[in-house]
Amino acid sequence: MATKSRLTRRAVVAGAGAAVASPFIWTSAQAQAGNTIKIGLPLALTGPLGSVGQQQKRGAEFHAKYINDKGGILGRKIELLVEDTVGNPATCVRKAQEMVERHNVRLFTGITLSSEALAVVPKLAEWNSIFISSDNGDGRLTAASFVPNFFRANTSGPMGTRAVSLYLRDSKFKKFYALGLDYAWGHNSVEVFENEVKRMGREFLGKVFAPTGTKDYSTYITKLRQSGADAVYLVLAGDDNNAFISQAAQYRLASRMALLAEQLELSTMRAVGDACLGMIVSSRYAFTIDNPKNKAFVEMWEKAHDGQPPDQFEGEQWQCQQVFAAGIAKAGSTDADKLRPALEDLTIDDIKGKVHIRKCDHQGVQAGFVVKAAKREGYSHPVPEVIATLAADRVTPPCNKMTYDD
Amino acid sequence: MNTFAFLLNQSVNALSQAALLFFLGVGLTLIFGIMRIVNFAHGTIFMLGAFVGFSVVHWTGTFWAALVLAPLIVGLFGAAFEIGILRRLYGREAHAFLMVTFGLALVVGDVVRLIWGPDALQVPRPAALSGVVFVLDEPFPVYRLFLACAGIVMAGALWLALERTRLGLLIRATSQNAEMVHALGVDVKLIRSAVFGIGCGLAALGGVLAAPLVTASHGMAFAAVIDAFVIVIIGGMGSFLGSLIGALLVAFVQVFGNYYFPDLALAFMYLIMMLVLTVRPGGLLGKEA
Repeated sequence: MATKSRLTRRAVVAGAGAAVASPFIWTSAQAQAGNTIKIGLPLALTGPLGSVGQQQKRGAEFHAKYINDKGGILGRKIELLVEDTVGNPATCVRKAQEMVERHNVRLFTGITLSSEALAVVPKLAEWNSIFISSDNGDGRLTAASFVPNFFRANTSGPMGTRAVSLYLRDSKFKKFYALGLDYAWGHNSVEVFENEVKRMGREFLGKVFAPTGTKDYSTYITKLRQSGADAVYLVLAGDDNNAFISQAAQYRLASRMALLAEQLELSTMRAVGDACLGMIVSSRYAFTIDNPKNKAFVEMWEKAHDGQPPDQFEGEQWQCQQVFAAGIAKAGSTDADKLRPALEDLTIDDIKGKVHIRKCDHQGVQAGFVVKAAKREGYSHPVPEVIATLAADRVTPPCNKMTYDD
Repeated sequence: MNTFAFLLNQSVNALSQAALLFFLGVGLTLIFGIMRIVNFAHGTIFMLGAFVGFSVVHWTGTFWAALVLAPLIVGLFGAAFEIGILRRLYGREAHAFLMVTFGLALVVGDVVRLIWGPDALQVPRPAALSGVVFVLDEPFPVYRLFLACAGIVMAGALWLALERTRLGLLIRATSQNAEMVHALGVDVKLIRSAVFGIGCGLAALGGVLAAPLVTASHGMAFAAVIDAFVIVIIGGMGSFLGSLIGALLVAFVQVFGNYYFPDLALAFMYLIMMLVLTVRPGGLLGKEA
């Protein structure tokens, strides 16, 4: 009897173990056929930026299903290969390399952190692979670190910062301070913001950087309070954004200065609730963007997700894969040598309006958005409300640059 | 802000952070003291506490219920894990525990993801604690004041429990010589289960208390397990007072260090640890090494 029960228990444990282990490699249902279009997504599904990676995964899967339900591209279905990198550049390169060597993947998207993307791009030529970024912010990817097989469908960090600073030119704020995450994206965006503030002829009082995964933001909040600034620019994401916004509200920081941010995801708005109300944010994508394509997309998305609207990176991932799909259809192939010229000068009209992938540095030229966290009927949490749409040619930097001339 | 107000503000703040670190560290150190095992799942248990706390707040509508129920539920889960799995491994070598607790961290981490989803969740502060007090014209969140008090009260209560109660006596005795306690007719197995459960419950309490500051998120686990280890290494493995001193030291150095030298924010905790290990390899109050 005792033996029997032990065996059962072991079986249960083994079963539980298998159930837990299996999600580590996701592939879509069409994995059996050799004729699929394989897209590799080494994502930071866990770690401090896990929520961003999870959004990218949901956006990618939703788009793949949409395309496959319509019969695929060139008669071929899309197959996604998703792996967790934990946000570590070395792990990301290793997982991408495995996808190339073991699964013959030649198309990549969705790499979550800019530091990971910067580690991957030098390998693209060797792998004969095309990588279209859906969220990497670092300006260098289309400037100093640009490689021919890299494309950026998303709004970059400098573009996001630019959108806010164009908006701020008409604002009453005079003195600024900046708080960023202490890695590639944070430093890059704060630098761009600092330049913009100085060019506006306003005062930039100082900046401070916090390590990713900081739990106690009180010392940074104290610094902000003491700075005398009337607005602070925040370059935070994921858990750090949640922690900072919750704690800033507890310290009543908003009564002292306006909170401007480069990023405020819906997931953060849900997690921090009313603490984020009134924040002014540069948005790469907001489900409230007013155009027919976006309305149709949001409706389709909400139907598939229990009425939850799509978040910023879910929309960006969708747009990125629309670029991928249009490029593959135009090239008639997934070969890097044929896909590259097809993607150059490609224009699509989608959920954010027109996106033109320019030839010179492979940046997607697109409009910028500034949103405000506000309450909206039918939603239990604050949502991004578009307060300014900035023209694509004013938001996108000159070719191969991450700073602006005016 | 004048210097005195600043120092007062940041000191109370450091105390509030020390409280969270203490709940983490003391559980780990108690478990190590009794069982000589290193619980790699401790950070994950801390996170589990925050998520269970979220659900309790959701069901009952009050944060206070979460403060009691979440540690209780997670503590019982810890005790059940000890009885169901760890108990079978006491004859084995130390790395068996390492593997099993590490496995527990992975399993619980993914189960939390399955039950509560991948996103961070809001655990609101109770209305009574959501205001601010003004310390010389500077607002200070009442919640952090509450955290600091909770830390002091719990540290006192735990010390009393360990020094003045029969269970405390047995725990101390078992950590010194388990065979002898067993020979005297005490059920050592029960003590081990209880201590593992209490350790997990304390971590969960830390998780619930941290949730209004950082939201209940999956990232909590990883950061917490490192913090817990550093505190226990600084204070000395198995030392109650050591974990208290370790938590205070780390919190104060981190708060003031971050303010004056933000570039070194990540390094401070490890610098203290290196310094302590160089001077006292067994930790400040450690008995070994």
